[in-house]
Amino acid sequence: MAREHWSERLQRFDRRWIFLVMAVAVVVPLYFPLGLPARPDPMTKAAYNAVEALPTCQLDPVTHRPVPGSPRCARVFISIDLDPASTPEVEPFYRAVVLHLKRKHAQLVIATTWYQAPPLVERYLRETLDVAIAPAGTDGYAGAPDRAYERNVDYVNLGFRDGKGAIIQQFGTDLRSAFDGRADDGTPLDRIPMMQGLNKLKDFDLIVLVSAGSPGAKEYVQFVGTREKLPMVAACTAVSTTDLAPYFQTGQLVGLVGGMAGSAGYENLVGKPGAGTAGADVLNIANLVVIAAIIFGNVVFFAGRAHRRRGGRS
Amino acid sequence: MTALPWIDIVGYWIGIFITFCCLSFLYKDNPFYKLIEHLFIGVSVGYLIVLQYGENIEPKVVDAIFGGGVDGAWLALRVVALVLVVMMFAKVLQPRWAWLGRYPLAFVVAFYAGLQVNAVAQAELGEQIKFSAGSIDAPKVDLNHAEPEALTALPGSSPAIATKWIAERAQRPFASLDDAITRASLSPLERGDLAAARGSLVGLDAKAAVSPGHHDGFGIVSNLLLLAGLLASLVYFYFSVAHRGPIGGISRFGVWTLMIGFGASFGLTVQGRISLAIGRAYDVLGRTLAPEDAARVHGPLVSLVSIGLITAGILIWERRTRDRGEGPGADGES
Repeated sequence: MAREHWSERLQRFDRRWIFLVMAVAVVVPLYFPLGLPARPDPMTKAAYNAVEALPTCQLDPVTHRPVPGSPRCARVFISIDLDPASTPEVEPFYRAVVLHLKRKHAQLVIATTWYQAPPLVERYLRETLDVAIAPAGTDGYAGAPDRAYERNVDYVNLGFRDGKGAIIQQFGTDLRSAFDGRADDGTPLDRIPMMQGLNKLKDFDLIVLVSAGSPGAKEYVQFVGTREKLPMVAACTAVSTTDLAPYFQTGQLVGLVGGMAGSAGYENLVGKPGAGTAGADVLNIANLVVIAAIIFGNVVFFAGRAHRRRGGRS
Repeated sequence: MTALPWIDIVGYWIGIFITFCCLSFLYKDNPFYKLIEHLFIGVSVGYLIVLQYGENIEPKVVDAIFGGGVDGAWLALRVVALVLVVMMFAKVLQPRWAWLGRYPLAFVVAFYAGLQVNAVAQAELGEQIKFSAGSIDAPKVDLNHAEPEALTALPGSSPAIATKWIAERAQRPFASLDDAITRASLSPLERGDLAAARGSLVGLDAKAAVSPGHHDGFGIVSNLLLLAGLLASLVYFYFSVAHRGPIGGISRFGVWTLMIGFGASFGLTVQGRISLAIGRAYDVLGRTLAPEDAARVHGPLVSLVSIGLITAGILIWERRTRDRGEGPGADGES
């Protein structure tokens, strides 16, 4: 019996070995970080610049209210449309952008159109707005410190609304009626001073979309962004990046942060490395494993084909 | 900082166990995977029902109609909505009433079709065609005359740098790019960013100049490539002419363009999946918690216990399957 060619043996290679190698590639760098650089790409830089270009108001250090003669505080709408599965990719961006916005004393209005998101949003508000993310003296952070925000004073959580594209279109025409005129905790929006003059998305200085899929950044661009010419930056999963990149080219999105690598770049720009930066290190190693697996598969395939053409057993 | 409540610690333990139950599918389909698959579906459906009732049905139907919250035309609209919902469920009650369900369905389809056509026409066709039909020229940004937005968009730049450049050029116009990136008002960090962004292909040297009339050669090549790729891809989808001769060549170039696009999508999809794995590894190892909370959760220990339990369970299940005479592959072996 003819001896089996090496390529034929390897074509029956058990794919579970690749899973094992990938598991090692993911876990080991968590214990032994390599500190590989996470450079922001131009789309991420543009998103950072859009936030950086917002007006920065001067606050009284005691009352935290704008001092007379200060520029008005920027007003930013954040739509957090994600589920637990997408948090590794877009949550680092959310944390970095909120720190960036808090450094500029921006007033924030938060909403979500994903039914899976409300418990996550509540946790994010507790961890990023109700307390300071980077108070003075934070290790490894040289930027300006932020402060704890007060609910319905510095930020408003509108909560969840179902309706996909239709409800996003309503945000563009009448935000208050989309939420029945109340914040998520039941407070009438008319009684919240920072909501004065905020009736539709056009009234905000910037729209930040933390978008893991549909409905999300694409629907915001389609249903309100293009029509109203809204300044919008989006963070999306890596899978969605190629779908949304054309919107960045045309200016329909003024910035785009793609996947964990993009989030790491944004953290780098803000100056506070977090889960994205640590994850990007792992991502680099895991990508090398995938590249090696693709090369390995192709070598085996072409070697097998060459062997068969030479008259070897098929 | 408040310590993690014990119920959350138990929640983390369950999360770690469920993660490894899920990963056990990499070995083969097994009872642990089936357990969490059913659990996931049950929890998702239950959560969705409660949320939809609380967010939509209770405030917008029950309270509005029976609580007296709205009246007049708005009340009539809510009643119409309720009737449409009931008609949707008619099929479940009696198959012979199934035709009633077509009316609310037709309403939903028509509504979303109208909404989508309008939105796509504006955002996709209008804007994308406008961009694609733009000039292929790629002029460099003139640092001595450009608007702040154009200066901000340059590699290595920022709104602060753009503001400083405008102030600097008002005092003394830039003589060269080196002059622009070393002006006194720029901070050392900003100078460093600009220096790192230098480059004659896609960097600052390619995009900026200190006088008008300069062009970015690589930018023009990129625009030509974009135009050629777009036209060739459209030719590939034009089926009224046989794809032979010159048309065949253009069509083939279109296929290459599409393949490059799909390759980029695939690469990013792989990145996304790896990110998921990283996220779970973070949770399992307690890296998302404060160090004192992570010490109470004991992620690595719980992981080992979970792996041990699942491995022992699968071994027992395999032995019992073999004893019953069901060979390997009987239950969807991977």
